[in-house]
Amino acid sequence: MITEKDFFELTTEPIDVGEVARRFVPNDCGATVALDGYVRQFTKGRETLYLEYESYEPMALKEMEKLIAEAHKQFEISLVGIVHRLGRLEIGETSVVISVAAPHRRAAFEGCEWLIRELKRTVPIWKKEIYAGGETWVEGEKNLTADEHR
Amino acid sequence: MIVEVLFFGATAEATGERAIEFSLSENVNADEAFAAILKSFPGLQQNFKNSLLFAVNQEYSGGDKIIKNGDELAVFTAVSGG
Repeated sequence: MITEKDFFELTTEPIDVGEVARRFVPNDCGATVALDGYVRQFTKGRETLYLEYESYEPMALKEMEKLIAEAHKQFEISLVGIVHRLGRLEIGETSVVISVAAPHRRAAFEGCEWLIRELKRTVPIWKKEIYAGGETWVEGEKNLTADEHR
Repeated sequence: MIVEVLFFGATAEATGERAIEFSLSENVNADEAFAAILKSFPGLQQNFKNSLLFAVNQEYSGGDKIIKNGDELAVFTAVSGG
């Protein structure tokens, strides 16, 4: 189950990392870990010009909600916020923020790491990399298990 | 029966389609439905081989789940958000 303060959103607007991290500061918490994922310019020597993200939006929101519910089961955390941007993103712009508040920092760090790893594996969002001389849809690793397909 | 089939990202580019109506026989399961879609769009399997994922009504799906008239199917490549 997710809590009433958990949030998960898709947006085409720039993301304010501080706003996401500080939207709720639960009174039983002592730490929030917020991941600021942004557009990398150089990947193994190749220069990216910009990225374009698209999503299967209703399914992406459902998958995000499932991840938050599972994170609450696995970690001693109080609140999760996930905001992912779509559309064209320039170098250095924030593509995703995952914010996890917990009574103690360790669970927040671990929960945040687990959430970004799972998001990149299961939430239906894709990015196209545009570089000098070409463009390509970035393909994630297909490592959903057979069970997860059902 | 008729289902809707959605494509995203690389599969949308490869098929030139984002959403189509697709005709299936009654009582097909998810595996059979997706096999029929791939047969209609041979480029998908050629280009993406084993990286294709399937969803039925916005849930990852496959196997023997029975497809119903009006279901929303989707075919896409391994996700790359973040």
